[in-house]
Amino acid sequence: MKVTKENLLPWIGLVARLALGGVLFVAGAIKIPYPYKAAAAMRAYELLPNSLASFFGYILPWFEVGLGLLLILGVASRLSGLIGALLMILFIAAISSAWARGLTIDCGCFGGGGQVAAGETKYLQEIIRDIGLAIAGFYLYFQPYSRFALDNRGK
Amino acid sequence: MASKNRGPQRGGKNNEPDPVTRWIVIGMVSLVVIIGAVFTVVSNKSSASVALPPGASKEDGYGIVFNPDATSTINIWEDFQCPSCKRFEGINGPKIYSLIDQGKTKVVFHTLSFLGDESVVAGMGAGCAADQGRFLDYKNFMYTNQQEEYSGTWTKPYVISMAGQIGLDETKFAACLNTDKYRKWLTNSAAAGGDANINGTPTVVINGTIMESDPQQINYYTAEGFTAQLAKFGIK
Repeated sequence: MKVTKENLLPWIGLVARLALGGVLFVAGAIKIPYPYKAAAAMRAYELLPNSLASFFGYILPWFEVGLGLLLILGVASRLSGLIGALLMILFIAAISSAWARGLTIDCGCFGGGGQVAAGETKYLQEIIRDIGLAIAGFYLYFQPYSRFALDNRGK
Repeated sequence: MASKNRGPQRGGKNNEPDPVTRWIVIGMVSLVVIIGAVFTVVSNKSSASVALPPGASKEDGYGIVFNPDATSTINIWEDFQCPSCKRFEGINGPKIYSLIDQGKTKVVFHTLSFLGDESVVAGMGAGCAADQGRFLDYKNFMYTNQQEEYSGTWTKPYVISMAGQIGLDETKFAACLNTDKYRKWLTNSAAAGGDANINGTPTVVINGTIMESDPQQINYYTAEGFTAQLAKFGIK
């Protein structure tokens, strides 16, 4: 079989879906059993009023799991990819802002979160990871067709 | 391989996506997300009427209060499962207990349950120990016998046997713990911690000022560091 652009792109799409969807699903699932910690991680960014930050801390893990599932299954790949990419951009903005304001927190992306010692922040790694995932999401927006996606059923 | 190449560009009636499966999946996923999110928000909300252990006060964020009428106040937010709290207790526990005994400082202990179910069991046990007037002994004993986080050791029967070891009435303690008498109290404590912007344990608040161990160059993990902090607020 000749490798052409036409039959390679769906495989790249599959990788993008599984990477973004897999990370979202795992990150959400890790946090669901510890809602109080997730809320505290959100408050530690000091971006939202306390009660609002707690609220988003409680619901974000569920949202991540749902979006992750849609991406893994390949349902509404184009829209899911776009929402995932926008979510990553939001995360990048929040982490950058924490970094710029000199906060010393863990992003709390996979549980954890809150204050860490000054030398223990990992802002750059966290941002690079999220940039990669945002690219995966935007890729799906522009090339939503991928292998092994429920979207393909009946086609 | 051409037959397997079913790109969207091929269009046509037989190539339309299957909207039913798609919508069923989207619907199911959304349902799970919404139910889960609503459940999480509701179950972490403070409730108006809760059973409070003796000494706990709503005005003090549902913490257990010692020397309520003293002028200086130390608030300590902790989780029995947290290793840093064990360190803090080991180093500064004696100082805090002596302040309580002297009666000149108001000390409020807030039991949080950051670290999942075992913290909840241990936290509810704190309320049950307070029922028998032994909150401080229980707290100290939990730290002395702290297990690794998430190790699964602190089940209800295990914690009940621990209570027995410090001479609590095991039958009463078991009746209290097994009925989750203080579960809502813990939820309210946690919500109060959220309102007070407590995002980690241990967090120590002296006269309203949150002590942050690293950013303020204070090391409250040494007895000298902690004593020096207290002295700044006139607590000796």
